[in-house]
Amino acid sequence: MRDDLKVGVFLCECGGNIADTVDLDRVREELDVEFIGQFENLCSLNGRKLIRDAIFDRDLDRIVVAACSPISHEKTFQDYIKPLNPYLMDMANIREQCSWVHSDNEKGTDKAISLINASIEKVKQSDAVDPIYCQTPTEVAVIGGGIAGMNAALSLAKQGTKVTLIEQSPSIGGHMAKIGKVFSPVKIAEECGMCLLNPILNDLVWNENIEVLTNTKVIEAKRRAGTYNLILEKSPRYVDTEKCIACGKCAEVCEVEVPNDWNDNLSMRKAIYRPFGQSYPESYVIDMDNCIKCGNCIKECSMRAIKLRGKAERIPLQVGSVIVATGHKLYDMEKRPEYGYTRFRDVITQSELGRITGVNGPTKGKLLRSNGKVPKRVVMIQCVGSRDENPDGHKYCSKICCTVALKNANIIKHKNPDTDVLICYTDVRTPGMFEKYFKHTQENGVRFLRGRPGEVVRKGDHLVVRTEDTLNGEFIEIEADLVVLSTAMEPSEGTNEIAEILNLGTTEDGFIKESHPKIKPVATDVQGIYVCGTAHEPKDITDSIMQATAAASKVSEYNHGGVEIEPFIAQIDIEKCTVCGECINRCKYKSMSIQNDEIYIDPMSCTGCGKCLVGCKQHAITVNGNIDEKIFATMKGILSNKKEGERMILVFLDNIGYTAADNIGVNRLSYPESIHIIKVISVNRVRPRHIRYALENGADGVFIGEFPGDLMYDEVERKIQGVKDRIEELGEDPNRLTFSKVYIPYFSGLARKFNEFDAKIAKLDESGK
Amino acid sequence: MKDLPTKDILLFRSCLVSVEYPGVEASTKFVFDKLGIDYAISPKQTCCTGLGHYSDVFNQIDTSAIGARNFKIAKEMGRPNLVMMCATCYAINKKSVKLLNKKDKLRNHINNLFEENGLGHLKYEKNDLKPTENIFHVVDILYAKKDEIKKHIKYDLSDYTIATHHGCHYCKVHYEDTIGGVRDPNIMDELIEECGCKTIGWYDHKRATCGTGFRQRYSNPNLSFTATADKMNAIADEDVDILVHLCPNCHIQFDRYQDLISKREGRKFNAIHLNITQFLAIAMGGDFDKVIGVKAHTVPIDSVIKELKEVKNER
Amino acid sequence: MTFKQKLNDSPIDFAIEIINDVKNSKDEGVLKCVQCGMCTSTCPAARHSDYNPRDIIERVLAGDESIPNEENLWNCFYCYTCHSVCPVGNSVCEVNQILKQIAIAKEIGYDKLYEYLGFADSYFTAAIGAIPERFFPDIDQDVPGWWEFRQNLEQIRNELELDPLMPSEEVIDEVSKILTITGFKSKIERIRASEEVEK
Repeated sequence: MRDDLKVGVFLCECGGNIADTVDLDRVREELDVEFIGQFENLCSLNGRKLIRDAIFDRDLDRIVVAACSPISHEKTFQDYIKPLNPYLMDMANIREQCSWVHSDNEKGTDKAISLINASIEKVKQSDAVDPIYCQTPTEVAVIGGGIAGMNAALSLAKQGTKVTLIEQSPSIGGHMAKIGKVFSPVKIAEECGMCLLNPILNDLVWNENIEVLTNTKVIEAKRRAGTYNLILEKSPRYVDTEKCIACGKCAEVCEVEVPNDWNDNLSMRKAIYRPFGQSYPESYVIDMDNCIKCGNCIKECSMRAIKLRGKAERIPLQVGSVIVATGHKLYDMEKRPEYGYTRFRDVITQSELGRITGVNGPTKGKLLRSNGKVPKRVVMIQCVGSRDENPDGHKYCSKICCTVALKNANIIKHKNPDTDVLICYTDVRTPGMFEKYFKHTQENGVRFLRGRPGEVVRKGDHLVVRTEDTLNGEFIEIEADLVVLSTAMEPSEGTNEIAEILNLGTTEDGFIKESHPKIKPVATDVQGIYVCGTAHEPKDITDSIMQATAAASKVSEYNHGGVEIEPFIAQIDIEKCTVCGECINRCKYKSMSIQNDEIYIDPMSCTGCGKCLVGCKQHAITVNGNIDEKIFATMKGILSNKKEGERMILVFLDNIGYTAADNIGVNRLSYPESIHIIKVISVNRVRPRHIRYALENGADGVFIGEFPGDLMYDEVERKIQGVKDRIEELGEDPNRLTFSKVYIPYFSGLARKFNEFDAKIAKLDESGK
Repeated sequence: MKDLPTKDILLFRSCLVSVEYPGVEASTKFVFDKLGIDYAISPKQTCCTGLGHYSDVFNQIDTSAIGARNFKIAKEMGRPNLVMMCATCYAINKKSVKLLNKKDKLRNHINNLFEENGLGHLKYEKNDLKPTENIFHVVDILYAKKDEIKKHIKYDLSDYTIATHHGCHYCKVHYEDTIGGVRDPNIMDELIEECGCKTIGWYDHKRATCGTGFRQRYSNPNLSFTATADKMNAIADEDVDILVHLCPNCHIQFDRYQDLISKREGRKFNAIHLNITQFLAIAMGGDFDKVIGVKAHTVPIDSVIKELKEVKNER
Repeated sequence: MTFKQKLNDSPIDFAIEIINDVKNSKDEGVLKCVQCGMCTSTCPAARHSDYNPRDIIERVLAGDESIPNEENLWNCFYCYTCHSVCPVGNSVCEVNQILKQIAIAKEIGYDKLYEYLGFADSYFTAAIGAIPERFFPDIDQDVPGWWEFRQNLEQIRNELELDPLMPSEEVIDEVSKILTITGFKSKIERIRASEEVEK
């Protein structure tokens, strides 16, 4: 009867993204369904009209949308097929897993047809079911206490949400606190950065919905149902913030002097110190790596706030969502030795110049060279580490360096009008209103030279910058007594670490990737986790603040709207159930419990993995949605399309693996056309009989991927080993089945594994002949 | 770090080493023997074509066809690891391997020519050699045995002011494979440190060319020697006694023409010029005539190294 | 002066021709040039002559097919500094070599090769690249003692216990054959004939 269902297939050209690689004319010819529609942008409202009209006119029962990844647009098309039930639609991913990873037109088209046939067979097995709505905890963790994290926390707190702000350094404030002066595009003037930061800091400190944890890092994260269980590690401060009144007497008597990192090591500080004047918490802190435990500070402290012993403390934190605002760091100048940063004291970075010109900096705001004299000429070199494809360089533009250089050039001109300032640039990038500030800078007498310098050397007591003036084609040696490098922004170590801990997708440059910049801005690949600020990509303060506010707003949407859960989870037949409790023991996700003498299944935590089914003697448990049949149908759809001599490998991935596979396409890497990805709600649902069916019906190989953080990982790994043994007994080669770890950030690794597995299978096929 | 071989090596003879500084070949063998590196030399191997190639007389197909023949010889000897004494041989051979592997049209064309003309035995199959696994400069191999250098050091050269000049065709052509940096090349500084010496490290124009510029030296000597003078002045500014290099082209430019450039610049340049293997061989006790080949040098080695001081506290 | 670009002009073709040359190892690097000048900033020839690597690429991208005639082209040192620092992954050094081969193919660069034909000759006689004899007088003048050293080379090599310098006849024959079938030999003959005519 299911075979009589009227299926409509809708092909999306995706504005050429699909149609340029996949021959959609041939696809239409080779499909055998009730109706085929095609449109340049199926996700548009015109696309909706096309789909709806066809459903009404042709009386369609089931819909297949062959377009992008369901991760991008499944919700859109579930809505577009109304009045049909949302689960009567299936998406064939012919973009991320076809046109973006394959370049061979013919093979790509063959694969697209297989994927669409798979969806047709699968959707015939679908039944109408209703989604389940759930609520997650509303508490939020914001990781990173810079300007982005602070704003995100504050926005949420003002909406009544409880926020924990986690900062690994001893004070919140981030880069903005040390930047000195800032300006915004609408203002043709520089203003005190700290004066703009302080009100936000005060607001935040006094807001009772916010708890600030400094010296604290996230070291572990687990997700259960809609709840994140974070484990934080708070390093000891050795100074009691409740007692310390920040009088500073302790630092006066401290004997240890070390470079002051807050001043970019341009000045010294004590081993007991306050990071900067307005730091929060308003308390001193001991840098235990350098403390010699002489005890002077303890004797001096009248508040008895200091204790030299202390241990790191582990703090569990339960939240419903997380905002990642872990920021950036600056490019390592050792990678561009020709500019002499490590050799010459008067070659500095823009960040260091910001400290030197800041009134709370090492020279109290005076622009001085290392010899204490005012420089006669300052040369700035742009794009250091940015827009550079060489090893250790960054391909991207760091976006803020042009305006930072303009700002610092103006500050120099205000302080020392006689100092000549020359900016060596490739392009001056001042979009929008920033252009007016550029003109203002030129009016101030700042000079510009179009050329990318080759090296900086020292001749006598001054420096020489060697460059071409590309506008007149002359090689020129410019004498300077201060050289300032505009260094690239790159992801901070905290950003790299948190991506790993939370299993977040990253870009090829290592920044946290947005799920989709247009459809799901500020959302990461992981539900309930959002990103803002420079952890996401290089941006200025204004953009960081806007994005922080957007992230807060997305968290609010999530908290108010709840989460829609796919209804493919376990259900108990109360008539049959004896409440023996076996399922509770078996469930790895702890989603089963006894409530009111009945088994209750928490829909947020059940993954539909089916482990409970197998153990229930009463056969009282079912999982919605014909999962087994759908897997068979999908395989049948793919394999029935197999051509003579074609290699077909079936890859089973759950949501995490599928996202990683999508990222291969998003980053335009490639893998062989033989790879056919089948999305399952849990890889545990791929039963031995599925694998046997695959191998017996033409699949050359089966690849099963699982995220090691999944609670079922070990179980699935064991099971696969068992299946391999049985395959061998049946006389097939167990090497045709493989089990592999998958991680969202390591999409390139997954692409490599696909390539390797394909090569291995090709060899097996070869030797079999 | 790439995998550096210490065996199955064909030590690739260089035309300029052979006729200008034969001591470099003798010193390389001396140091390789000390370090237990397994190598051989083949009388069948011929010159890489580098000099003709970079004077634009040879085109890529000529160079790669000659390369294919040499690669075949190495492979058939069971010594697929080509190790070069000359930076240009290194660059030329590595590029030929890359092109022969990657550009099917070029490979097929050369193979067809071989086939049609009774040279079928020279045919190069794709990936016969791998650019990163089979093509090296002597310094790469020394780097692999870096930790063992110390125990063979007999003489202490640490009283001299030492600077390095890393040949462009070692550092910059296949820069993704270069050990010890490209923008501030340091592989030789690291090797010299193993002899208990400290180099001056960075100096102005450290990464610049020696000035040979292939045709520049002969057809455009003014330009060539002006570029060399940049380097010589910078070295003299640092009072360098020994300049260490890794390529016979640079060696000729500095050693043969030092006096000429001194006259042009009106400044006396006093540094002596040693290949890295000659430097190591001296430190390891190699004979000046039988190993270092000092008679080939224009700037006398003994103008700087007047006597040798034995290393104290020998283990 | 106005330069007119006609609808049917396709200035990019010249760059594409260079990209397709077998020598090019930088894919579409030429097309990504933004004229930042870092090549010129580090170039020894730009420092001491009128050669300008950035300008070479600008003209290639403009489709200026007269560059192979450019005298300055021959000032490149082949030091590959531009190649190793180019932020967009282009190599002016390789482009320069390709342009020169275009010049030679068009027979406009022949006169630049006359002095270097000795490099070719030594391959046919000894399978080795030897400094052409026509430079010997210059070297002898610039480098006192060099000629005597060369006279003693055999003896010095013996003292160093090195293998004989000259390869066997079979080796020389094989190398000569290779250089004949690649078309090298006839090219050299054409160049030599052209030199004779000029004389």
